[in-house]
Amino acid sequence: MNKIEAKKVNVFYGDKQALFDINMDIPERQVTALIGPSGCGKSTFLRCLNRMNDVIEICKVEGEIKINDYDINQKSTDVVRLREKIGMVFQKPNPFPKTLYENISYGPEIHGMAQSKDELDQIVEDSLKKAALWNEVKDRLHEPGTGLSGGQQQRLCIARAISVKPEVILMDEPCSALDPIATAQIEELIDELKKEHTIVIVTHSMSQAARVSQQTGFFHLGKLIEVGSTDKIFKNPNQQQTQDYITGRFG
Amino acid sequence: MINREEFLNKRYKAEKRFQMYGKSAIILALLFLAVFLFKIFSTGYTAFQKTWIIVPINYDPEFMYLDADQKPSMEDLQDSEYFDVGIESFAALDQNANEDQITDIKRMFAFIFEEEIKDHILLNPDDFGKIVEVKLTASDDLDQVFKGNYPRDLPEERRRVNDYQLKIFDKLNSEGKVVSNFNFSFFTNADSREAELAGIASSFMGSLFSILVCLAVSFPVALLAAIYLEEFAPKNRLTDFIEVNINNLAAVPSIVFGLLGLGVLLAVFGLPRSTPLVGGITLSLMTLPTIIIAARASLKAVPPSIREAALAMGASKMQTTLHHTVPLSLPGTLSGTIIGLAQALGETAPLILIGMVAFVNTIPGSPMDPAASLPVQIYIWAESAERGFVEKVSACIMVLLIFLVLMNLAAQMIRHKFEKKWN
Amino acid sequence: MTEKPHTVKSYEEQLQQLTNNLVIMGGNCETALGNSIKALCNNDNTIADTVINNDTVIDNFESQIEQEVVDLIALRQPMAIDLRETVTALKISSDLERIGDLAKNISKRTKLINNNLPYNLTQSIERVGAIVQKQLKLVLDSYTNRSPEIALDVWEKDEEVDNLTNLCMEEVIKYLKSGNENIEYGSHLLFVTKNIERIGDHVTNIAEQIYFLVKGSYLEGDRPKGSQPIVNGEK
Repeated sequence: MNKIEAKKVNVFYGDKQALFDINMDIPERQVTALIGPSGCGKSTFLRCLNRMNDVIEICKVEGEIKINDYDINQKSTDVVRLREKIGMVFQKPNPFPKTLYENISYGPEIHGMAQSKDELDQIVEDSLKKAALWNEVKDRLHEPGTGLSGGQQQRLCIARAISVKPEVILMDEPCSALDPIATAQIEELIDELKKEHTIVIVTHSMSQAARVSQQTGFFHLGKLIEVGSTDKIFKNPNQQQTQDYITGRFG
Repeated sequence: MINREEFLNKRYKAEKRFQMYGKSAIILALLFLAVFLFKIFSTGYTAFQKTWIIVPINYDPEFMYLDADQKPSMEDLQDSEYFDVGIESFAALDQNANEDQITDIKRMFAFIFEEEIKDHILLNPDDFGKIVEVKLTASDDLDQVFKGNYPRDLPEERRRVNDYQLKIFDKLNSEGKVVSNFNFSFFTNADSREAELAGIASSFMGSLFSILVCLAVSFPVALLAAIYLEEFAPKNRLTDFIEVNINNLAAVPSIVFGLLGLGVLLAVFGLPRSTPLVGGITLSLMTLPTIIIAARASLKAVPPSIREAALAMGASKMQTTLHHTVPLSLPGTLSGTIIGLAQALGETAPLILIGMVAFVNTIPGSPMDPAASLPVQIYIWAESAERGFVEKVSACIMVLLIFLVLMNLAAQMIRHKFEKKWN
Repeated sequence: MTEKPHTVKSYEEQLQQLTNNLVIMGGNCETALGNSIKALCNNDNTIADTVINNDTVIDNFESQIEQEVVDLIALRQPMAIDLRETVTALKISSDLERIGDLAKNISKRTKLINNNLPYNLTQSIERVGAIVQKQLKLVLDSYTNRSPEIALDVWEKDEEVDNLTNLCMEEVIKYLKSGNENIEYGSHLLFVTKNIERIGDHVTNIAEQIYFLVKGSYLEGDRPKGSQPIVNGEK
């Protein structure tokens, strides 16, 4: 079953068109990886999915993006509700400069998800456990989140994202600032999370896309060149451009 | 090969020279500062000392127009006259003095000698009818003589202290009746025409109230303006225009703001003139752009990743701004604010225009009372002819400098404290 | 090669080196096969010795290619076409090594046969040897040209090879039956025929690998089989 269906998505930055007629289906409870060279539009497409492009004034998104059969790309969409459903993890770990606890509790608090302090405590604990961070930080929940290592910070950001129980998690190069061990921990975490969440991940590391995803889309110059099952893409892609990119014959 | 070696040497030499220029620039700046501070302190430190003359005062009931047989009540003491007590006691200093000489002796003391004599008897009612020694404030001329600031070798007609007064003074001095103590009244008195009595209390309070009013007006307005411009306003011609004008506002000469205060606050709104309220509002016009610029810069310095994180969690724009961006920008904003206030504190020109240059001999109790301010006080005293005010000017500058240094320290501390907490 | 060169030149060179080694190794096998048939038919022990001695060269090529493949996988993590290139090189090299071994085996048996063999028998073996040799040449051509069509041709022709080997087998059995003195040489010849047939099978394997290398998918359907081998000497 498809969680997200994008039809004829065009994105413009001012006069410059960034995405051309993107059609892509993203299956539920699977990991979909978006790969492609820098500036190919994969991050732009990712940010369409939770309307983060709204933040950029000159950015205009056209087309239809259906999540659960509801077109999120219409004026009447409540962006706050949408982002509650669709969490996001960024390239650089960006915990709030507050305590670990406040980092996680922020989302549930602003969305009014907890009735009592106990309930909030429970959400914080659950989120940290799901992000495989609980054991490392349970004794210092009230210390600043910025004191953690890079990998821990990124897992904190993932815990923060899942604290509001989103259906979809978008990840924008979540491991590009991390060492291989921390990367492996995040990849393991992604594997776990896909049991409950639909995950879309943008990555520069093709081997990472190959390791974590079930479906891979290759973007180039704003176009979706090819999308298909990950093992097909990495063993025998249909398009010459895809093959050139993943074998390192580009440019 | 040799050429390259030479070339390298040249480069090293050029670097050394460059560093030397930098060092000499610093040394020059420090030298100026040292000269300035030395001048201020060397002329100003004496202002913190005050000269008293101890005089045996004859609390004779006759001079006080009271009944000698009866112990007077406090009310009687309160109501009675002490001018004659003073005059008689002064006359007793020199048995042979004629009328003019007694007047000369009287002029050796500050005109508040009556008050001082009265204060003493009120505190010690038992001294009624006795002769007791009382500390009286010396006149500013004698104060200067005692501090050695007054040349004695001038011809008498060009001196404010005549030979007779000097003779009496020297006699008293040799008897150990002239003492010098810490000058509390410099801090507790309001301004006065008499240098020995003039203090900075009025102008200090005036400055304090002005700054508080300025802070109360400019900080919220500037912060809101900065937040709106930086976080919410669309980027278009209009906001560009506003931005340019805010920057221009920061460069407007301060006296122009004074005219604005005069023309609008006093003339149109009819606010009371010479008050810290009007002064503070006028100064806040000056501080406003400074704070806006500082606040915008520190809002801009908040990493966009924090905003994105909050937005992606589903926070609204306002929540993102109030929960995350503004608290993170606050250290920068606050230190910018304090720097702006410190600037306002040293401002003279606009205050002169709105009438805070008036002679105020009361200590203001609220921003609505007329007051002077420290820099204006400096200006007033620097204009005065009496020699006694010269040291006061320097002393007042010292107080102002200490005030400014403290404010800058506070700015540093705020910045340090909040920035250290996170990262 | 139809692909663009790699951005990393040394990677490109490594892959090129692998292909070159495989082509040279294939050439060696082709020579070994041809020589072994020639030695058998002409009863020439000198040529047979050359084949036997040269087999170590082929073995060395195999282990070198294996090393290169392991290096590529460990250090370059090849993907897609490069991955297939690397993996098929490994498999083709082991097929070629087997072909080399079988040719060597033919030559060893040649040295044990001292009499001149009947003309029709040598001719029949020569014929089947020639066709297998041609198959091997074609498959190596298809490798150098990355041509799935030639590979498919080779693959389909395996049936013909099998049929010819069966005919040849019949001749050998006839030879065996014609007299007890023929038993020793005849049984050697049975193995020789069998070896030639096995070489044909390896060639087919290689053809399949080449098809996968270029197309990325496996050849569909069963491999073509010749008529059932003769068990009792009668059709």
